[in-house]
Amino acid sequence: MNNQKETFAEPAWNHAELLERVDNDQELLRELLAIFKEDFPRTMRSLESAVAAADLKNAAGLSHTLKGMLSSLGAARAAAAASRLEELASAGATAPLKEAFGALECQAASLLPELDAYITEVRH
Amino acid sequence: MKILIADDDALSRRLLEKTLERAGYEVIAVENGKQALEQLYKLEGPRLALLDWVMPELDGPAVCRAVRTRSEQAYIYMVLLTSKGTKEETVLGLESGADDYLTKPFNAEELRARLRVGERILLLEDRLVEARENMRFRATHDQLTSLLNRGAVMDLLARELHRSHREQKSTAILLGDVDHFKRVNDTMGHLVGDEVLTEIANRLLGSVRSYDFVGRYGGEEFIVVLNNCDPNYALGRAEEIRKSISNRAVHTAKGPLALTMSFGVLLSGEWGLRPVEELLHEVDIALYEAKAAGRNCLRTARPAKVEPLPAPVPQPVRLRHR
Repeated sequence: MNNQKETFAEPAWNHAELLERVDNDQELLRELLAIFKEDFPRTMRSLESAVAAADLKNAAGLSHTLKGMLSSLGAARAAAAASRLEELASAGATAPLKEAFGALECQAASLLPELDAYITEVRH
Repeated sequence: MKILIADDDALSRRLLEKTLERAGYEVIAVENGKQALEQLYKLEGPRLALLDWVMPELDGPAVCRAVRTRSEQAYIYMVLLTSKGTKEETVLGLESGADDYLTKPFNAEELRARLRVGERILLLEDRLVEARENMRFRATHDQLTSLLNRGAVMDLLARELHRSHREQKSTAILLGDVDHFKRVNDTMGHLVGDEVLTEIANRLLGSVRSYDFVGRYGGEEFIVVLNNCDPNYALGRAEEIRKSISNRAVHTAKGPLALTMSFGVLLSGEWGLRPVEELLHEVDIALYEAKAAGRNCLRTARPAKVEPLPAPVPQPVRLRHR
């Protein structure tokens, strides 16, 4: 792989990557974003409760699901945060779980506006 | 070609679905391992499957293991989708019965290329199955007439005789021989002889029901087995079969030929359960009688009249040899 990553100013969402994956099908891209906008917050809420309850099994499963949808979407940084959370939960590390969830929330916070901006931009 | 996608994440599922539809596949998308198995177990179900590793109900490797324990169905080519792609995971996935694995997020081009590998394997399997079926056909059928061959007829007949005995029904065995066939071969040549045999095979087949069977017993000898045949009608049906040969000429490359057949007939109900070879020997004697009686006729093999069963007699004492 010779993906050149610009670590500085790397966007939360690599929309070109996704566009390539959908063969430049704008309609499909919008559809995927709509699925994401519906599934992501719901899964995040479930994960939050699992983390709060120190339910490691569910936390691992849910963060795995999040990792999958985030990487499919092309949101590498958020996917990495979800992946860390999955690893911690699988390893049975209860203590750092909340902090890792915070990191994921933080990534999500920068990702969602980018998605919204794109959706609005496409609409106009 | 049908392909199954099993992924619990709606986003990945939709993306895969669309990518594969574009590649010309008929996609069936499900969201867990249990639904995946239901699809894969279906008759005419998909034979290509993309299975996410982590899924509710049953995970990808469990689906692979379940599919591989069923040996009777056509081969299913399964690709696991993993997110890590570590060596341990790869080994575990392939050991579970997967044919290949792909790391997510997938690259569309690589995915299509890997699925083409799967299609090649499936095509190879189809060809093997077809070749096996052809061999099976050749092993049980006569090459010239495509009728059952002698071995196949003997097997089927043995089974049928047991069944009719068990169900207290009767099976009619007709052994027929083309009259003066040697003359056809000698004067018209073997090619015309072959034409005659093929036409006779067709006429015999055309004069029986779908559950009867007709076989080529030897050179110009044919056997017709009328399963579950009422003894009162058997001789009438045998007559019809005889007439199907004699009532019109056989058209050959060297002109029409008037041909006849002689038949030996045996009704199994009159004989009780006897070995196939024994009954065939009896019906062969009847055929010989039909030939001796002037050909183009039937003779029936009847068991010698047996005295009514006497009261049980003590078994003769037999010397035992060791």
